Amino acid sequence: MTKLVDPTFAEAASNFMPDPQWLNATGNGVTVAMIDSGVDAAHPDLVGRICEEVGAKIEGSRVTFLPVEDGDLAGHGTACAGIITQLAPDAKIASIRVLGASGSGDAQVFLAGLEYAVKQRYKIINLSLGTTKPQFFAPLHDLLDRAYQAGCIVIAAANNLPQPSFPSIFSSSLISVVKSEERDPLKFGFHYGEVIELTAPGVSIRTPWLGGGYRTLTGNSFACPHITGLLARLVETHPELTPFQAKSALHAIARLNSE
Amino acid sequence: MRQLKCDENSRKIASMPDSRSEELLARIQDVFRISESERLLTDPVKEAMTELLRTSAARLRAEGASVLVRNADSGDLQFLAATGEVADRIVGLEIPAGKGIAGFVLMSGQPLAVSEPDDESGFYAEVDKTTGFSTKLLLAVPLRFRDDVIGVLEYVNRSDEPLNEPFTPAEMDAAAVYAEAVAALVNAHIDADLMCDLSRRLIQDGTEAADIRAWLLSLRENSTHARALELAALVSELASKGDAEVELCRTLLESLIGYSTSTTGRLDLA
Repeated sequence: MTKLVDPTFAEAASNFMPDPQWLNATGNGVTVAMIDSGVDAAHPDLVGRICEEVGAKIEGSRVTFLPVEDGDLAGHGTACAGIITQLAPDAKIASIRVLGASGSGDAQVFLAGLEYAVKQRYKIINLSLGTTKPQFFAPLHDLLDRAYQAGCIVIAAANNLPQPSFPSIFSSSLISVVKSEERDPLKFGFHYGEVIELTAPGVSIRTPWLGGGYRTLTGNSFACPHITGLLARLVETHPELTPFQAKSALHAIARLNSE
Repeated sequence: MRQLKCDENSRKIASMPDSRSEELLARIQDVFRISESERLLTDPVKEAMTELLRTSAARLRAEGASVLVRNADSGDLQFLAATGEVADRIVGLEIPAGKGIAGFVLMSGQPLAVSEPDDESGFYAEVDKTTGFSTKLLLAVPLRFRDDVIGVLEYVNRSDEPLNEPFTPAEMDAAAVYAEAVAALVNAHIDADLMCDLSRRLIQDGTEAADIRAWLLSLRENSTHARALELAALVSELASKGDAEVELCRTLLESLIGYSTSTTGRLDLA
């Protein structure tokens, strides 16, 4: 049987490492787009961290994004933003709210949110959402390819449910994450060859919540912002990092973690 | 009181010309049949759902469980079934589209567990305010049917010590398995509701019988619970024969249910 990775190449890959300065980076000068339920910008942990807050508005079949001030409709976005800022305290967050705009056609709104983030050329895009509707496979695939070509690094939460969820199962154009019980955010895992390649802490994570409080949360959607936060550090030290370089860097760091 | 009203109605009918009173009686019989068929169609599905909630909640050491279903038009979520302390107050409550943890789970399709055992007020504000319940722990998983998310299955709080132990990833996975069975029942309930709508339309609009038959056929072909619908159709056909047949049908079904619940094993009909 042919080995998936040539041993000499694997050795070379293990020698590849990003500038170790990334460990001391704080995400300074980096903006992360977060496609989620909005954000509570007044939360003590997030004050001064939110650079943009837009929400989806539906007009006929068109979805547009306009500035919003009514924050987070579910608490989820605030929790994810909290995880990102815990790991990259100087990163700025652009909140693209796709929840609450409509009861039906949700996947359409979330697709529009991702398209908005790509058009704005956000370097890092955190996506804790997905859809199982097959009609969105092709448009999402196309959009993720465009994100890849535009240099946007998209990080998506996978789900553990039997049905495939898009876009998390697209392996080439984005980074998909599933939760692990690991506590140390730097000890994430990379499983090359699996549909969902990355594992990161996602069990009993204490994060900011609505109204200035905190909650303890479990779910893949909380593993995803852990990788996003680390990527904000990597992009600070390597501002020109491309999506494939980002994956290579994560792979190299994870290999070091597993040794 | 009800008897009095019936008597009044009977007197009104008696004072009408024959053709009108016959028409009215026919309509009353139709209404009776609809209400009967609604109970026949939706009650067993709801009972099965509640039983599944009770069993799964016990397995997950949860104090209560509930099913929220998305309204296809408005996108709002409504509690369809629940178990636990405040079950009666929860069923029928609505959560506006895209709001709260349930709204997020519906849209994202992602299971979530949230806990805050130290917060005395509880955190599920949108529901707690109405029910007086205090949610400390919540496990929410999407209800998927075919390729769509049709609702949310929730488990709240622990039934025994340690009461503040958050729901675990293994329990999240187990809840996702229960969600598959619950989703099939929710879909059966939605179909049963459609049948009831059909009955109402039959009376209100005088829809052509051929159209109804074609619609029923398509419904049955697309349904995963065709056998339940077949049974419902048989009952409906019998009911159309007259009141004696309705009575006979009910007696038979009640006896059968009585017999099957009194036996511990499955009925051996082979």
